[in-house]
Amino acid sequence: MFKKLSDLERLIKKNNVTKILALAVSQDSQSLNAIHKAHQKGIIKPVLIGDKALTERIIEEEGFDFSGAQFIDEKDHEMCVEIAVKLVHNKEADILMKGKVATPVLLKGVLNKEWGLRTGSLLSHFALFEVDTYHKLIAITDVAMNISPNLKDKIAIVNNSVGYLNKMGIAKPKVAVLGAIEMVNESMQATMDAALLSKMNQRDQIKNCIIDGPLAFDNAVCVDSAKLKNIKSEVAGDTDLLLMPDIEVGNVLYKTLVFFAKAKVASVILGAKTPIVLTSRSDSEESKYHSILLAALA
Amino acid sequence: MEKSISKLEHIAAFVIGLNRRYRVAVVLAEDVNTLDAIVKATMDGFVYPILIGNRAQIKQLLPNTFLKNEDSYEILACDHNAAELAVAMVKQGEADIVMKGMINTDVFLKAVLNKQLGLMKPHGVLSYVCAVEVPAYNKLLFITDPAVLPFPNFKQKVSMAQYAIEMAHKMGIAKPKIALIGTSEKVSPHFPNTLEYEKMVKMSKNGEIKGCIMDGPLDVFLACDPQSVKIKGISTPVAGDADILLFPSLEACNPFYKSLMLFGGGELAGLIQGTTHPVVVMSRSESFKSKYYCLALACLMTK
Repeated sequence: MFKKLSDLERLIKKNNVTKILALAVSQDSQSLNAIHKAHQKGIIKPVLIGDKALTERIIEEEGFDFSGAQFIDEKDHEMCVEIAVKLVHNKEADILMKGKVATPVLLKGVLNKEWGLRTGSLLSHFALFEVDTYHKLIAITDVAMNISPNLKDKIAIVNNSVGYLNKMGIAKPKVAVLGAIEMVNESMQATMDAALLSKMNQRDQIKNCIIDGPLAFDNAVCVDSAKLKNIKSEVAGDTDLLLMPDIEVGNVLYKTLVFFAKAKVASVILGAKTPIVLTSRSDSEESKYHSILLAALA
Repeated sequence: MEKSISKLEHIAAFVIGLNRRYRVAVVLAEDVNTLDAIVKATMDGFVYPILIGNRAQIKQLLPNTFLKNEDSYEILACDHNAAELAVAMVKQGEADIVMKGMINTDVFLKAVLNKQLGLMKPHGVLSYVCAVEVPAYNKLLFITDPAVLPFPNFKQKVSMAQYAIEMAHKMGIAKPKIALIGTSEKVSPHFPNTLEYEKMVKMSKNGEIKGCIMDGPLDVFLACDPQSVKIKGISTPVAGDADILLFPSLEACNPFYKSLMLFGGGELAGLIQGTTHPVVVMSRSESFKSKYYCLALACLMTK
């Protein structure tokens, strides 16, 4: 069980493999900062694809040491993405990371039918939070990618995330399907989906995890709240993964945990051939570094 | 009010300063959780409780120091229709506030919502506003709706905004900043709520929604963190200094306040909205402090 995001370092070191990370549009100081740190620790070996002169200028200004890194000089953003994606497609790189490029441009490359990274699964966002007041790391999905997933999408999102938690060594992650209430209510689709997901899990249609829902937030993360409400659940109070009803809820919770609960967060996009590090400008450098760690686990 | 209220304990302090005892009709008061807060509020001098229910059980739960001041409370023995009795007392001016005790919430609300005999404002929208105090924020945050409306429509959102504005005004905040919460600052047809927000901001600009500075959609960062506003370079009158957060759904607001309580060290006080008189409904899981603040808030909101 992990309590801190930095604990991921230990797990990666145990695997003893240096992953190759392809950064698309590399002239981005925040990304370079995080990559530099991971490179120094021997976790990754970077391939920096972008405007080489600009990238080198940032490296010099920041005083980074990128010896041993590979540089590919390309000014066109779409071409940078194509090169980076193809490296991963051809198994010459293990991780794709977004640099100073617009998200839609990157995703277009990822989803390319010939040389992209499709697996047939839905792409989904997976965020792992370190909250002081919770007894372990807690994953939340999907807070950034799928706007209002239907049941089928939710199954794919759970499978993407559970697969990843399994890789982290959590054999049977406890999945709480979030609702505003813990009762099934026919006017709240999220609670209906939650009930179906729980049953599908019982019948082994969704494997390698224990799903329960609907659970309200307090029941999912606090055993006393669940007891007060007389909820009998293996998941309540000990959740590893919280499934969001939609992006509006996920976005609020994500930002609330970061701003009000001072949570640390790492995130990756799952469902492609390899995990994709796709952080936003507002994420801290620490968060970008932890996201690289998370991606390096796969 | 000289200075606006920025902490929950200031609500109680302010109400105590009014030197008035608000009459609170408690439905099935034989509940230790409810009585704890009632006893403190009575001892602090701002509540005169009318405890409705099983007299013997109620007496047993009350401390002697409380019981001996016989003119500071009333016990009304009642074994059925206690909610209807409490609501009728409020309606007839014999009580100011009605409060739920050891009674099923649905049964309690049925009495409150009854069209002829209940306490709903004509054409009023039933909703909920909570005042939240959290260490990471330097003032109270008013949030709506964490408890009643699952997917508020446009009209309901406007009412929610107005209720929250009214509560902020009562706390001495003349022009509360209200952020309409979305996933980003962009209006998009993929998010129907943001189209409604756009209309609401217009209504606030042309005076149809008064007494506030409104902007939206804004995400939680842009609403509450001036640093994020600066980094993103967004121009918004709320400027990371929101007093009120209006959420697109109960599903979004509910985990927001619960995560603040459990992970952010928060406390809260909330009230049902849309009624003629304050109605206090608290869940068992709320802390003693929150229950006490809830009562103080109900008193503050009494006309």
